[in-house]
Amino acid sequence: MTIAVQQNLVRGARSTLRRTILICLALLVALFLFIVVASVIGAERLPFASSLCALFTGGFSTCGLSPEQSAILFDIRLPRILLAASVGASLATAGAGYQALLRNPLAEPYLLGISNGAAVGTMVALVFFGTGQGSEWLRPVMAFVGALSSTFVVYRLARGRTGATPEKLILAGVIVTTFLSSAIVFITTMMDATRIRSFTFWLLGDLSGASSSLLIIAIIAAVIGTVVLTLHARSLNLLMLGERDAFDLGVEVERVRLIVFLAASLLVGASVASSGSVGYVGLVVPHLVRLAIGSDNRTAIPAAALAGAVFVIVADTVARTVIAPRELPVGAITALIGAPLFIYLLRRG
Amino acid sequence: MSKSNTISFRLILALALIVSACALSCSSRRETGAPANATETREVTDEAGKRVRVPVRPQRIVTLAPNLTEIVYAVGAGDRLVGNTTFCDYPEQAKQVAKVGDTLQPNIERIIALRPELILVSTASQLEIFTKQLDERGIAVFVTDPHDLEGIFRSIKTVGDLLGQQEQAETLVNSLRTRAAAVEDAVKSRPPVTVFYQVSPSPLWTAGRKSWITDLIRRAGGKSVTAEVEGEWMRYSDEAALASRPEAIIMATGGEKMEVAAALQKSPAVINKRVYGINGDYLSRPGPRLVEGLEQIARVLHPEAFKQ
Repeated sequence: MTIAVQQNLVRGARSTLRRTILICLALLVALFLFIVVASVIGAERLPFASSLCALFTGGFSTCGLSPEQSAILFDIRLPRILLAASVGASLATAGAGYQALLRNPLAEPYLLGISNGAAVGTMVALVFFGTGQGSEWLRPVMAFVGALSSTFVVYRLARGRTGATPEKLILAGVIVTTFLSSAIVFITTMMDATRIRSFTFWLLGDLSGASSSLLIIAIIAAVIGTVVLTLHARSLNLLMLGERDAFDLGVEVERVRLIVFLAASLLVGASVASSGSVGYVGLVVPHLVRLAIGSDNRTAIPAAALAGAVFVIVADTVARTVIAPRELPVGAITALIGAPLFIYLLRRG
Repeated sequence: MSKSNTISFRLILALALIVSACALSCSSRRETGAPANATETREVTDEAGKRVRVPVRPQRIVTLAPNLTEIVYAVGAGDRLVGNTTFCDYPEQAKQVAKVGDTLQPNIERIIALRPELILVSTASQLEIFTKQLDERGIAVFVTDPHDLEGIFRSIKTVGDLLGQQEQAETLVNSLRTRAAAVEDAVKSRPPVTVFYQVSPSPLWTAGRKSWITDLIRRAGGKSVTAEVEGEWMRYSDEAALASRPEAIIMATGGEKMEVAAALQKSPAVINKRVYGINGDYLSRPGPRLVEGLEQIARVLHPEAFKQ
């Protein structure tokens, strides 16, 4: 049976590539449309035609927007939408990667405690190195270190002597999550009161006010992580058959596992450092994508990245408009959309 | 079931037995009864609308917020304060009083050990969980919840009344009222300056309609751009803040340097260098020193009105 699968995989390679390109193109168009739509919606009403005109001329022509309106569009709204897109892409791709590698449909950065690991890393960077200019680069680095360490701890805990079962993995994730949550509480007690308020919001996921360097880091990380995982999608497909079968079929299991862990930690670290822990994205988006187009990772991973970007853009647009001029944390919206959708999918499937 | 599983199962069972046994004995041992030294009491309504039975002249007081500590000292009852929070650092003597934790996480054991007759709390403190335990020991909990300067004057008078210091409270409120009126008088004829009050830059937090900050800004000859937004303290939209074109930004400054939110960099306030930091103790503590905050806001908004 495994040989049949393998032959099937090889035979279908070319048509898979064409299908992947088609699906990704369609999703890219959708992503572009959602970015444009989200740019003209917000707490502050901007003139529709002028905003579109300014967007499509890349800001070179003001199209009749006042300096403030163009600052709202280009300095506040657009960076936030791009951050939402890269955070969504990162978390969805990381989720898809973990799910394939660990052969576990529930594997997700948030549930496995990896987001919390990145959060602890970020907070350590903030507490010990402050909020100065140079420390902006340190936060994602520390978040990456935190994500990677918690990944290995969860994996080691779950693996034990008898190999990792899905249940053990989730239990290990719960243990690490709760342990790191208490570490987070401990760190917040060392901060003063006004900063605690900012942090509780940040922990729930907050896309506002990320600096341009953090935004650039988040975009670069999203692109690199997605490309690396897509390039290893064939190995991940084989790993879904089981590690021994994958090894027999020529997959360097240890190397692929390390690469997936590194790439996923990069994705989670960059998104947590820039926007806190946005939950459910890594769980819901890959599931939806697999339901729609099947579980071949060569298509599912890049598609999950683009769909994740759209998902978080939509969630954040709701978060910043529904009680405007006040705001909700985007993590609350992703959970609100994600949890019922997930239950529906569970019951249907 | 493997061997280790059986063992852990037995352990859990044993633990469960111990816990339930303790629960039974603990509940049967609970003492009933009123406090030993039954003093004369009366019933009042606190600012959360709750009926509270308080001693007529409480001798042992605990405060759970810095503004309440300042009020207790200002009405001349500081010598009866037996406990306050780690935030309470004014006046100087307040630092020497026993600490019962901070406003958000007071330590119930330490509070009870201090044998207070009255605990003064602001709505920010999380004491609701312990109300029952405190009630059983006859410890009165009085909640204050002011939303504007007038409400703060009312709180001061109420606390003065609770502690039997009506006259001092009256004198204090009268002098504060005179100072506030002088400020309002000085800026009365000036056009109001639009102000954005920044609580924290990222994420952006501000004060809304129900905050005393909005009232202070109005009295100081300003107009808060978030004056009509429902709520007391809230997360605010970056773009709405910029679009409101504030002429001035006021921030409460504390230990560390505060920055203006990135979103407000192109606001008229930043362009015209009208960003002011005011000592947070004068703005965030609804007590007597809030009038100092009012005077400072007025001075930065209308410097020409105070030139002499």
